[in-house]
Amino acid sequence: MQVRKAVITAAAPSQQTIPLQRLVDREGQEKTALQLIVEETLAAGVEEICIVICPGDQRSYEQAAGDHLGSVRFVEQNHPRGYADAIHRARKFTGDEPFLHLVGDHLYLSRTNTPCAKQLVKVATEFQCSVSAVQSTRENKLPYFGIISGAHVPRHDDLYEVERVVEKPTPTFAEQELVTPGLRAGHYLGFFGMHVLTGDVMNAIEQVLSGDADSRPTLSDAAALLPSRQRYLAYRVHGTRYNIGVQYGLLIAQLAIGLSGRDRDQILTELVDLLANRAEATQAS
Amino acid sequence: MNRLIEIITSQNDSLRDQSLESICGNASLSELLEHVDALDSFRRHETNLYRRVRALFFLAAIYRYLIPHQLSPTQTGLIPYAGYEHLLARRFSEAIDTFLESQVTSGPQDGLSSSLASAYHQLGFQTLADQVRHSVRSVRGNQWMFRLGHPDDHPLRIRPELLNADTFGTMPILQETTAVRMDFSHSAWSDIFFLGMDFPEGARVLNVSIDLGVRGRDAAPKPPIEAYLRVIDRPVIRLVSVDLGATTEITTIADMFDFARDYLGLLKAAVIASGVVAPGLEGCQQPIRDVLERLVGPNRGLELVSKINDIPKGSRLAVSTNLLGSLISILMRATGQVASLQGPLTESDRRLVAARAILGEWIGGSGGGWQDSGGVWPGVKLICGTIASEGDPEFGVSRGRLMPVHEVLEQDQVSSEVRQRLQDSLVLIHGGMAQNVGPILEMVTEHYLLRSDKEWKGRKQAMQILDDVVEALKAGDIQRVGELTTQNFEGPLQTIIPWATNRFTDRLIEMCRARYADKFWGFWMLGGMAGGGMGFIFDPKIKPEAQDWLGQAAVDLKREMQTSLPFAMDPVVYDFSINDNGSFATLLRGDQAMLPDRYFALVLPELLRTPTRDLSLQTRGDLERVARRCHADGEVATTAALLLDSVLPRQASTSKAESSLSQLLADTGFDREQHDQIRSDMRLGRIGLSQNRLSANTSIEDVQPSDVTDVRGGIDTKYVDLGKSSIKNDEIAIVTLAAGVGSRWTQGAGVCKALHPFNRFAGRHRSFLEVHLAKNRYTTSQYGGSIPHVFTTSYLTDAAIRDFINQNDGFGFGNKLHVSTGRSVGLRMIPMVRDLRFLWEETSQQMLDEQQQKVRESLRAALINWAQVAGEGSDYTDNLPNQCVHPVGHWYEIPNLLRSGTLAKLLEQQSGLKYLLLHNIDTLGANVDPGLLGLHIDSQQTLSFEVIGRRLDDRGGGLARVNGRPRLVEGLAMPSEQAEFALTYYNSMTTWITIDSLLGVFGLNRNDLQDKVKVDAAVRRVAMRMPTYITLKDVKKRWGHAQEDIFPVAQFEKLWGDMTALPEVHTNYFVTNLVRGQQLKAQAQLDPWKRDGSADYIDSICRW
Repeated sequence: MQVRKAVITAAAPSQQTIPLQRLVDREGQEKTALQLIVEETLAAGVEEICIVICPGDQRSYEQAAGDHLGSVRFVEQNHPRGYADAIHRARKFTGDEPFLHLVGDHLYLSRTNTPCAKQLVKVATEFQCSVSAVQSTRENKLPYFGIISGAHVPRHDDLYEVERVVEKPTPTFAEQELVTPGLRAGHYLGFFGMHVLTGDVMNAIEQVLSGDADSRPTLSDAAALLPSRQRYLAYRVHGTRYNIGVQYGLLIAQLAIGLSGRDRDQILTELVDLLANRAEATQAS
Repeated sequence: MNRLIEIITSQNDSLRDQSLESICGNASLSELLEHVDALDSFRRHETNLYRRVRALFFLAAIYRYLIPHQLSPTQTGLIPYAGYEHLLARRFSEAIDTFLESQVTSGPQDGLSSSLASAYHQLGFQTLADQVRHSVRSVRGNQWMFRLGHPDDHPLRIRPELLNADTFGTMPILQETTAVRMDFSHSAWSDIFFLGMDFPEGARVLNVSIDLGVRGRDAAPKPPIEAYLRVIDRPVIRLVSVDLGATTEITTIADMFDFARDYLGLLKAAVIASGVVAPGLEGCQQPIRDVLERLVGPNRGLELVSKINDIPKGSRLAVSTNLLGSLISILMRATGQVASLQGPLTESDRRLVAARAILGEWIGGSGGGWQDSGGVWPGVKLICGTIASEGDPEFGVSRGRLMPVHEVLEQDQVSSEVRQRLQDSLVLIHGGMAQNVGPILEMVTEHYLLRSDKEWKGRKQAMQILDDVVEALKAGDIQRVGELTTQNFEGPLQTIIPWATNRFTDRLIEMCRARYADKFWGFWMLGGMAGGGMGFIFDPKIKPEAQDWLGQAAVDLKREMQTSLPFAMDPVVYDFSINDNGSFATLLRGDQAMLPDRYFALVLPELLRTPTRDLSLQTRGDLERVARRCHADGEVATTAALLLDSVLPRQASTSKAESSLSQLLADTGFDREQHDQIRSDMRLGRIGLSQNRLSANTSIEDVQPSDVTDVRGGIDTKYVDLGKSSIKNDEIAIVTLAAGVGSRWTQGAGVCKALHPFNRFAGRHRSFLEVHLAKNRYTTSQYGGSIPHVFTTSYLTDAAIRDFINQNDGFGFGNKLHVSTGRSVGLRMIPMVRDLRFLWEETSQQMLDEQQQKVRESLRAALINWAQVAGEGSDYTDNLPNQCVHPVGHWYEIPNLLRSGTLAKLLEQQSGLKYLLLHNIDTLGANVDPGLLGLHIDSQQTLSFEVIGRRLDDRGGGLARVNGRPRLVEGLAMPSEQAEFALTYYNSMTTWITIDSLLGVFGLNRNDLQDKVKVDAAVRRVAMRMPTYITLKDVKKRWGHAQEDIFPVAQFEKLWGDMTALPEVHTNYFVTNLVRGQQLKAQAQLDPWKRDGSADYIDSICRW
C-alpha cells in the first residue's frame, strides 16, 4: 500500500483564518500554518493534497500555500454538515486509494527525526490498513477528542487494534467502556488529528451521512464502523500536536516550534528576560 | 484448628452456616477464653474482609452474651478510661488492645466484657462500612469523580439541547418522573449491602414500581417523584425542594458539601453523585462559577427542582432513594452520561443511576438497601444478588457483587390482568409512624453473622416465601400472595427481628381479621419495619368498603395510641397503580417549559420584593408566563389561588399556639418567678453545663467494701423472712416514676414512655407500666398481702396514663392503683451557644463514620446558628405546647406525692404502710424483693439505694466517696469524665424509703400531710438545698408531611440521687445483680436485652 494523497480539512466556519496565520519554523523561516501542514504532509511521501475549504476561501488559501501550490487542490464544502461530510467532499479526489488525513487547525511536532505524518504512513504501509494516530489523553480533555480503545498489538510498541471509537465520551462512559490497558489511570487514547484511511472509509462515511439530514456526523462516527469491516489500528505517535484554534494555541505552538529549533537560545533568553522583568514589576508594585 | 475458625473459613455451606451457640452454647469460661484468643489472633491476620467481620461478630457475641453468664456476680470490675477514649474516637483496634491488656491483669470481668463486646461490634460495622465505601468508589464509572480535583479539569459538558432557548428566550426544561418501589418480599432484609455481598444466593427481592396518590386529596395516582432541570442565567446552582419549601443558591463548591445546613442535603448529594460537582472537588476553595463555566458556559448556572407530591416520610416506599435516583438520572442525562436525553432509561443506564444512587446515599450519610432504587426500573422485577467473578472490583474480596441484577417480569409472566387484580385487592396505607430503620438493619446484619438456628431457619423460610410469591403472581392468585406476605411477616421477619412489628400494627391486623374474616386475605409489611407504609389485601368485592373503613380505623387507633407510640402524622390511605415506565424524561420547550405552580408559590414572594429592573431576563420571562397561565383556561383557579396565597399575609397560627402554651403553663402551676431566675442565671453563666460539675478540687474516690452491702451472693434468710412478713402485713407500697417522655427512647418524640408497648410478653406487646404491675401481682401472689402501686406523672403523661388505666379497669388493682399528678413544670429554653459548644466540644463524644461525622458537624454549625438567631437563653415556644414544657427532674416526684395528697391517701387506706420502693420506669427488674426489704427494715435507715456493677453503657455517675463521704454523684456533676471510670458502682435509682424518716427530713410527720401550706413550705425548703442542673435535651418539631427536626433545648432538673448529699439523710447502698438494676434507655438496647436472657428473667418475675 502506498499513500500518495492527503486530505486536509479547513472548512469549519470558525477556523477559516487559522491556516493563514504566520509562524516561524524551526529553521527561522517565516511560514503560514498551512505551509507547515503541507510540508508535514509532503515529508510523509504524499504527492497530491486536497484541502477542503469554505466557499470563497480559495484565494487566500492559495496565497498561504506559497511554494507548494502546485501540489494542492481545493474542494469547497457548500453546506456545513460536519466533519465527516468535509472529508467526504474529497471522495472524487481520493477515489479508492488510501489517503493521509490531517486537520487544518493543528500543528505537529515530532520528538524524533521522523515527522509525525511519516511515522504514521510507515505503520500503515507496513500493516496495509487504516491507522489513526493517537496520544495518551487525560480525562479532563475528553470533551474535545474522539477516543479509541483496544488491545495492544503483540510485539509492536505503541500499536493498538482498535475495538471502539467514541467521539467526546463522558468520563463515566470512558471508564466503563474505553479503558486501554497499559495507560495511567484516567488516561485514554485520544485522536491526534492525523489518520491514514483506506478507500473503504468513504463508504463508512456515506453510511453515517445517510442518516438524519440535520445530524452532523464526525469522523469518529464513521471510524466506529471500521473495526467490524476491516483491520483498523491506532498508533501512539512520537510527537505532540498543538491546536492553534484555541486561545493562546498559536502562541504555544510557536513557542514549542521555536524551542525545538535553531533559535532556541534566543527564545529562552527572551523568556527569562520577560519573567525577570515581570518579577521586578511585581516587587516594585 | 479452632472450631469457630473452621466455621468461618469453610467453603462447605453446612459447616459455614453453623451457629455460634452450636459450638459455644455449653462452653465453660476457660473454653470461651480459648475461643476468643483464637478468634482475636485470627482476625488480626486474616486478609479476607468477610472472614474478619464474622470473627469480629463472634467475638462481640461471646463477650456480650456468653462470658458474662460464666462470671460470678461479683466479677464486675472497672473499665479503663483510655480504652473508652479510643472507642469514642473510633480507634477500635487500640480500644480492644487496651481492654485486653486489662483483662490479662485483672482476669475476665463483666465491665470489661461489655467494653470488648462493644469495641468488636463497632469494629465489625466499621470494617463493613469501609468496604461499602471502597466498593462504591471503585465501581467503574464512579472512579473518575474521585480523581477530579480542580474545576478547570471538569470533563463534563451540558448537552447542547438544554442551551437552545426558543425565540422568546425561554430555556427548555428537562423533566424526569420516577415511580417509587413497593417490595413484595425482601427475603428478610437481604438487600442490606453486606448480606448481598456475602450471601448473594439469598439476596433476592421482588418489587414493583408504583404511582401514588393520597386518597381524598389527589385525583389519580401519578409518578410521585418529579425532578426538573434547566439552565439559568446566573452562575449559581439553585436547588429547590417544592415539598420542603426550601430553596438555596449555591455559590461555592464548599457549600455543596455542607449537607445539613438546610433541607436540601438530598439534592446536594445528587449533584455530587452525578458528577456535576464531583466528590473529588470536596475541599476546593473555588466558587461554583468555575465549575459552571466549564459545564454550561460563562455566566450560566443550573436550577434543580424536586417534587414528591407531598408523599409523607416513612412511607417505606423508598421515596428518598428514588428521588435521589431521579435527580441523578436527570443530571446524568443533561451531562450526556446517560445516553438518552428523553424517554425511559436503558438497562445499563438504570444500573449506572442505581450505582450512583448508592454513592449518593453514602455521601449524604444515609443508607438504603441495594434494591431501593427499584422505582427507576419499570413494573414488576426480581432483583438478585450475583456472585462476583473475575474482573469485578469485588472479586477476591467478597462472594457477591455490590450491584444486584434486575430481571423485569414481562407481561407473559405477570399479565396486565393480574396486575389489575393486585390493584383491585391491595389497600396501601401510611400508618403515621416514621421511624428510623437503621438500628433494625444493624440487628439483621449481626443476627445473620451469628447464624442462630432459629433465625437461620427463618432466613431460609423467607427465601422460600419469595419463590412462592413469584409463583403465586405468575399464577395470578392474589389471595395466595396475601397468605404468603402474612406468613412472611408473622414468621421469618418477626423471628429474625421481633421489633419489625409493634402494637399498632398488630391491632390493625386483628381488627381486619375480626371485621372481614376470610375476606381479609393478608397483611403485607413494606420496607424495613411496620407502622409506616403497609399493605392490606382484601377480597376485591369488599376492597372499596374496606379501604374506607381501614382509613378511618387507622386514624382512630392512632388517636388512641399516640401517647404511647411515636406517630409523626395521621394515617393516610394511598391510591396506587403499577408504573411500567420506571424513570422517564421529557424535554419541555416553549410554553410547555414551565416549572410546577408550587415552585412559583415558593419563589414568588421573594421575586415580588425585587424591583422588576433587577430581575434577570429569564425570571421576567418566567413571571410573564405564570401570569399568562393565570389567565388561561383550565386550572386557572388553582394556580391563581396558590400564588395569591403565597404572597398575601395569612392569619398567623402561632398566636393560637402561644395562647394554649400560656394556658398549659397556668394549668400546671408553672412557677414564673423561679423560671425567670433560672433563665437569668443561665444567661449570665451562673448555671450551665460546665457549672453542673462539682469543683475540680473535689475528691472523688471509689467506695470501700464497708460502704456497701453486697447482696449479689444472696441474702440471709432472716432478712428474707423479715421482708416477707412486712409484705404480708401491707407495710410496703411501690412508686414508679412515670413522668418522663423517654427523650432517648424516641429521640424527643414526646410519647409517654410508661405506656410504650416495647416487647411481647405472654403473647402480646406490653408496656413498661403493665410489666411493673405484673411484678407487683407476682409478689403478692407469692407472699400474700397487697401492695399499693403509685405511678407519678407529669403534665405530659398524666392524662394518658389515667386513660390507659381506666380503659383497662385498673388492671384488677382496684383502689390500690394510684396516679400522683406532677405539680412541677418548667419551660424549655433556647440553649446558650457556650453550652452547645461545651456539650459537643468539651465533653467526650462518640465520633461517627467519616461521612456521617461530616454531616453531623454541618448540622451542629446550623444548630449553633439557630440558637444565635432564635436568641440564646430565651423561652422555647416555637413548637406544640407540650413540646415546649418539661418535667423538672425526678427529685420532685416524692415531694409531689406529699403535695398532691397521694401519700396521705395511701396512709389513710393502709395505716400500717411504712416503706416505699421507688424506681424508674425503665428499671424493669426492680420488684419488692423480700430480702432487700428485710435488709432495709433491719438497717433502720431513711433510704437504701440499689447500685449495680458498671457496664460500658452505664454512664451518668455512680456511687463515690466525695470528700470522704459516700454519696451518689450524677454524671452531670462529675468534675471530670475520667473520674466516673474509677467508680465501681452505677446508680440504678431504685430506692427503699422509710416513710416516717423521710417525712422527718422534710420536717413533717404523718399528720402534717393534711396541711397543704406546711407541706409546700417544707418542700420548698428542701428544694432550695438541692443543686439545679442545666441539661440539653432533644426535642422534635414536626412539620410538613411527617418531617421532623430535632433541636437541642435547655431545661433544668433536680435529681433524686442528690438526697444522699444531705448529711441528715441516713443511707444504705445495696449492691444488686445487674439483671435487677439494668435500665432500658434506648430502643437499640432491646435486642441484646432480649438475647442475653434479661427478657426471660423479667417474664419469670411477672404474673400476667
